[in-house]
Amino acid sequence: MSSDGCGAPAGTVVAATDAGSQAIVQGKVTQNGSTVLTGYARLLNSGGDFVAEVPLGADGSFRFFAAPGTWTLLVLAPGGVRAERTVSADIGKVTELEVAV
Amino acid sequence: MSRSDVLVDAEWVEAHHGDDGVVLVEVDEDTSAYDKGHIRDAVKIDWRTDLQDPVRRDFVDKAGFEALLSARGISNDDTVVLYGGNNNWFAAYAYWYFRLYGHRNVKLLDGGRKKWELESRELVTDVPHRASTHYTATAQDSSIRAFRDEVVAAIGNLNLVDVRSPDEFAGRLLAPAHLPQEAAQRGGHIPTAKNVPWSKAAQEDGSFKSDDALRTLYRDEAGVDFGKDTIAYCRIGERSAHTWFVLHELLGQPNVKNYDGSWTEYGSLVGVPITVGDAS
Repeated sequence: MSSDGCGAPAGTVVAATDAGSQAIVQGKVTQNGSTVLTGYARLLNSGGDFVAEVPLGADGSFRFFAAPGTWTLLVLAPGGVRAERTVSADIGKVTELEVAV
Repeated sequence: MSRSDVLVDAEWVEAHHGDDGVVLVEVDEDTSAYDKGHIRDAVKIDWRTDLQDPVRRDFVDKAGFEALLSARGISNDDTVVLYGGNNNWFAAYAYWYFRLYGHRNVKLLDGGRKKWELESRELVTDVPHRASTHYTATAQDSSIRAFRDEVVAAIGNLNLVDVRSPDEFAGRLLAPAHLPQEAAQRGGHIPTAKNVPWSKAAQEDGSFKSDDALRTLYRDEAGVDFGKDTIAYCRIGERSAHTWFVLHELLGQPNVKNYDGSWTEYGSLVGVPITVGDAS
């Protein structure tokens, strides 16, 4: 995990189990039951503005450290795949979601 | 400087594969992305281990940059095409480095790795071998890098463009939402700064918006005065390098600096003014 940069964690996301003081939104992207290996997850705020984006991990996973509130998760993948989900985040909670595209 | 001087598209890259004098370089936020697959013949630069001083908080020095490019087989006369993930975030940061150390011919692949991947273009895992070179850098170009004292002096005088997300600008978050919330001692922004999140310059596929749309975004919507000098900042100067690229390289604004100390430095300084709350 990077502690000194804007950088994302290198490699596969390790799912968090204890949110501590963070508001974590994490999950996995699947297509027809299989993991989506190539794609991007982005987080948009309630105004629809981009906040962050991560490439999907090797197991189709993503993770964001958000602020409490309601967010839109947008998944982009090859072939014009585009899926949106609304998700809420709370301090001290890991919000899990699986996005089937 | 105009768009065609500093951006290439995927067709250009495919047409120039293997050309002498053209070097593709991947620079990614996720430093393991290259190893999973990259554009054929691309070499890798790791923004963390290759571009940062290992001890002090600073960049690699001139000798370090020369050693890095020599080892990657890059010559002074080569056309360097940079690309990376997340709207070319870190590729734009590396682009700024190349300019800082005087490389003449450097470009970004518009849309970066994401657009390339979403278009299902070829990625390979073969690592190319390039013979080492004797690269010679120039002294740092201080006209594109801002330090803290000039940032404080710029308050109320120059354009300050805070390119972080609105939640970071307001002080509700201390870091981007895909990172743990660890950063400066205080949240908020530099007084008089305009908030134009860096990502607004990019379209959903990661390519840059048109010059007209960019002028509207910065000048007309955010109120950046194009008649004044500008300093851009974010948290550690990487997202703001992307905005520096937009203002200086695409829109041709003459005096734009990137403040790489950014919020992690400013928000930990003793005694400087801070504003909290949303943009008005």
